[in-house]
Amino acid sequence: MDAGIHIEGLSKRYGAGDTAVDALKEVNMSIAPGEVVGLVGPSGSGKTTLLKCLGAVIEPTRGRMTLGGEVIYDSEQGGWKTKDLRALRRDRIGFIFQAPYLIPFLDVTDNVALLPMLAGRANGVSRARAQELLQALDVAHRAKAQPSELSGGEQQRVSIARALANQPPVILADEPTAPLDSQRALAVMRILNQMASQYQTAIIVVTHDEKIIPIFKRIYHIRDGRTVEEAGEGRQIS
Amino acid sequence: MISLAGRDILHSWGKFVLTGIGLGLLIGATLTMAGVYRGMVDDAQVLLTNSGADIWVVQKDTQGPYAEASNIRDDVYRSVLGLPGVAQAANVTYLTMQVLHGARESRSMVVGFEPGQPGEPTYLVAGRRLLRGHYEAIADVKAGFRLGERIRIRRHDYEVVGLTQRTVSSGGDPMVFIPLKDAQEAQFLKDNDAIIADRARTAANPSLNRPGVPGLLDAVNAAQTVNHSVNAVLVKVGAGSTAESVAQEIRRWKHLQAYTRVQMEEILVAKLIATSAKQIAMFLAILTVVSAAIVAFIIYTMTLGKIREIAVLKLIGTRNRSIAGMILQQALGLGLIGFIVGKIAATLWAPAFPKYVLLESGDALRAFVVVMLVCTLASTLAIRAALKVDPAEAIGG
Repeated sequence: MDAGIHIEGLSKRYGAGDTAVDALKEVNMSIAPGEVVGLVGPSGSGKTTLLKCLGAVIEPTRGRMTLGGEVIYDSEQGGWKTKDLRALRRDRIGFIFQAPYLIPFLDVTDNVALLPMLAGRANGVSRARAQELLQALDVAHRAKAQPSELSGGEQQRVSIARALANQPPVILADEPTAPLDSQRALAVMRILNQMASQYQTAIIVVTHDEKIIPIFKRIYHIRDGRTVEEAGEGRQIS
Repeated sequence: MISLAGRDILHSWGKFVLTGIGLGLLIGATLTMAGVYRGMVDDAQVLLTNSGADIWVVQKDTQGPYAEASNIRDDVYRSVLGLPGVAQAANVTYLTMQVLHGARESRSMVVGFEPGQPGEPTYLVAGRRLLRGHYEAIADVKAGFRLGERIRIRRHDYEVVGLTQRTVSSGGDPMVFIPLKDAQEAQFLKDNDAIIADRARTAANPSLNRPGVPGLLDAVNAAQTVNHSVNAVLVKVGAGSTAESVAQEIRRWKHLQAYTRVQMEEILVAKLIATSAKQIAMFLAILTVVSAAIVAFIIYTMTLGKIREIAVLKLIGTRNRSIAGMILQQALGLGLIGFIVGKIAATLWAPAFPKYVLLESGDALRAFVVVMLVCTLASTLAIRAALKVDPAEAIGG
């Protein structure tokens, strides 16, 4: 697979010797551009570790990861392909968290525009990009509001806009619907599907949320550090 | 690029400004302490300038008249006047005492001087100079006397006929100028009971009260009730002579101590107020450390309150130096607000202090630099904490 997410034999071991814990064991995963895939598993199964490896915040022990058609990690070839993981995260990965974690002292536009600005784009260009995304996510009318003035659903939509700001090939969503009620959770999933399709972004959604699991066409179950792929219901969101 | 520090300050400006005001009051206290020291030095210099003298002639082996007691005969000035290079020489007395006015008391330095001679107040802000030989006074406005008011010095009442300004002792007490003869009496004469007791002792002494020697006892009594002491002779040097050369002549030939202006400044600043200066320096050091601790604590707690946001910022690609810059700018912003508030506070409350507080621009500039340095140092703890934040903390689990 050229674009999207492609993981081969990814392992992560914490500690060493008798106290070593294998959090991920030979994980394989492929997600096409424009596809939204669920990652489901009980607590301690390795979901967060997988997300952290994909997010380039912890280094895997072994394996190979390709994001957007570019190998970012290969244990056979010395590990990370770039020393600047900060730039890798900024330019190639979008993050959506369980809580929106918007920067409380920036207004909605600047929360979104910050990423392009960090990537070196001009303020005007960055704000125009933010406006475009806020428009697409139907929160443009709150562009000048502070995060504390937004509802939970609005905050999550702004955090989705932020994740898309640098047009990353990959978005990692860590339980993005957890704090939301059914209606808002489904709305968020509709948006993620729409954005994935519109921007050809591969999205992994880590979730426990029973309400949204039937929506995924493909689901990866993770248990004791191993993944099992399963076809989802792919139910349409009404 | 967005100024993260500026936005954060604007977002929580109320908390930030209140903290800055708190810090500012501390900085204001620090500036005031420096001002108190400057005021003491200035008071000492003004004291010397107001005396109008080039040389202070005092009792041998003393550092009088301001730092130590000095007692010399009041005819010494005549022999000093005879020395080459001396233009003017005049007796003066200084006595710090409680001056009564009405039911109130004012601690003042009573100065005895001869009109038209060194030691006379150089300018008046109200009223007139002394015209009568006795019982008139000129007072510094800080003493709180009004023109025409009667004040009591020892056993006599004086009318305040003139007011002057910035004439204070090295201890900050306002000066009250009275005629030299009155001042000598106030300083050196005994009270009535002591005089009566002395006369009785003299009359009982057969060698001083000899039968057949009329007038001896009266002469002895008269000698005991008249005093011919003063504290110092103030000398003005004539054109063509230097104060040091004239002072050397006085030391060599008159067996007296003579100090030039430079030497007198040394005595007042380096010796008389040295302990106070050390005391103030200790306060300044403590206040600086306390200010640094407060800034460090505030910035550190403000940073700890933003750990999650800092983790998110790091995760989405913000450089460490941008985060460190944000914290540093906030610390400097806090210092700037604190300095402005401190400077305004010190300027407003300085006139209310009983002693002169001199706030110099140089001190303010130095304080500004120190505040900025202290804030920079204080922010390092918070920067260290922020740089240690793992971006992985933004991801749950």
